[in-house]
Amino acid sequence: MKKTKESTLAVDIAGIKLKNPVMTASGTFGYGSEFMPYTDLEKLGGIVVKGLSLKPRQGNPSPRIVETPCGMLNAIGLQNVGVEAFISEKLPKLKGVDTAVVANIFGETIDEYMEVAKRLDASDGVSGIEINISCPNVKKGGIVFGTDPGEAAKVVGAVKKSTRLPVITKLSPNVTDIKLMAKAVEDAGTDAVSLINTITGMVVDIEKRRPVLATSTGGLSGPAIRPIAVRMVWQVSQAVRVPVIGMGGIMTAKDALEFIIAGASAVQVGTANFVDPNIAVKVAEGIAEYVERHGTTVKELVGSLTTG
Amino acid sequence: MSEAVVAHNRLIAPGYYRMGLQWKSPGVTPGQFIMLRVSADSLDPLLRRPFGVYDVLRGAKGIEILYRVVGRGTKIMSTLRPGDMADIFGPLGNGFPAVKDPGRAVMVAGGMGIAPFYMLAKDILKRGENAALFYGARGRTDAAIATDFRKLKGLKVEVATEDGSMGEKGLVTDIFGKKAVWLAGEASVVYACGPSGMLKEVARISKKNGLRCFVSLERAMACGIGVCLGCAVRTGKTAGKGTDRKKYGMVCSDGPVFPGEDIEWESL
Repeated sequence: MKKTKESTLAVDIAGIKLKNPVMTASGTFGYGSEFMPYTDLEKLGGIVVKGLSLKPRQGNPSPRIVETPCGMLNAIGLQNVGVEAFISEKLPKLKGVDTAVVANIFGETIDEYMEVAKRLDASDGVSGIEINISCPNVKKGGIVFGTDPGEAAKVVGAVKKSTRLPVITKLSPNVTDIKLMAKAVEDAGTDAVSLINTITGMVVDIEKRRPVLATSTGGLSGPAIRPIAVRMVWQVSQAVRVPVIGMGGIMTAKDALEFIIAGASAVQVGTANFVDPNIAVKVAEGIAEYVERHGTTVKELVGSLTTG
Repeated sequence: MSEAVVAHNRLIAPGYYRMGLQWKSPGVTPGQFIMLRVSADSLDPLLRRPFGVYDVLRGAKGIEILYRVVGRGTKIMSTLRPGDMADIFGPLGNGFPAVKDPGRAVMVAGGMGIAPFYMLAKDILKRGENAALFYGARGRTDAAIATDFRKLKGLKVEVATEDGSMGEKGLVTDIFGKKAVWLAGEASVVYACGPSGMLKEVARISKKNGLRCFVSLERAMACGIGVCLGCAVRTGKTAGKGTDRKKYGMVCSDGPVFPGEDIEWESL
């Protein structure tokens, strides 16, 4: 039987149905609608919106970004409109757009995570929740939850109790053994994991003898981190049973396929969106071309890596 | 996003180039910018570079940018030849607002901050309004890029150089400051672009003398369309729409042109 185009590309992440495995990563795609003039959102498997907190956040002082070899450092500080404004102002703009919308959430306390998850659960048009336990750029919360397996498990358990939506937990690479974090959140009930968030880094202005970023350190993203990300996705996909979403420096379909073959059921395109707002669609098209050329499906490709 | 063809890439002074890009661009307002990918498929430099639009090519067949070779990206740009492809998108951001019946439009430029003023000056002169340019540079070599402005009929050009090799010795804010009272008497409007220290001083002098002042800011930016939130500047007032832009404005999407009094200069 001839496979339809849809079935060769479609993936299901814990009940989140994606028409293709390409999503856009949180923090690199605004609230989605900003990209409508530049790309066709319906050609994407899904979009993950900027991290949402209970109250609006102003973010960090400037400078917040600096370019690095094959990448960039950022310390935005989770500037966002807050969950209420997202639901009332941003989400309606995506109504009728045929793509999965995943809301990335963030809290300084477990209660805040729960509250944000509850509000989203009651809203219309969100397909899933991605928990950010791994932002390196805020003083409270974030990275504390992201580097301690016990704390991470508490957040995940609490969010799971607060929503019926599928829950993805986004992992930090800034740990000694990411497999331990992945197992901890799996045991706590997460429906999927996504990785990697940015890697902590720093750039020094040698004339001023000061860090370039106002917050001194920031998160490194872009193709510079891709081999680290592929390695971690490979390790985690072998350690857990829940689906893995891979990300880190994806610029092309070839990059995305590395993650998928290494074990990712879907991928997220991040920093590349800044370079070309239509790049995620190009990645999806490239994957479709590969799948057709090899007479296979994305599902068959997931974790099809041979080692040794 | 959009393929452009390099029409010319001329060295106009040591280290300074003017690049023409044939491109089906929508209309451009003076003060708007484009994002240029220095080399297609390049991972290093990875991000696009923002450039203010210097001029529109004859017949609106494209745009021209003025740039100085300062780093790897601009060095690569300087090697582009006519006929080469360039990947650009824009125009982006909000340009200089046209002020109704200004006594005189005064442009204050520091260094590369002169780039967005060529188009603005031409527009103002076309409207039959009075225009003046105060331009500050390090020395004679840098000041040479103001040559085109001297050819604009009706534009008064005053130059200050830090080493005194051309025009008045000193900073552009010195010559602007000396004329501020007189300009205020003419109910002039001030447009400024350059280093943030210079802009802060122009805004201060303007405020003191009751001059309307608009500044064009430059910050490191990744996306150019208001989503990476990298190019934030602290604004005293609401610079944009919505609750998320109260304290920080984005240079790319809320600016790059802001009313001078809206910027919290201490934060820059």
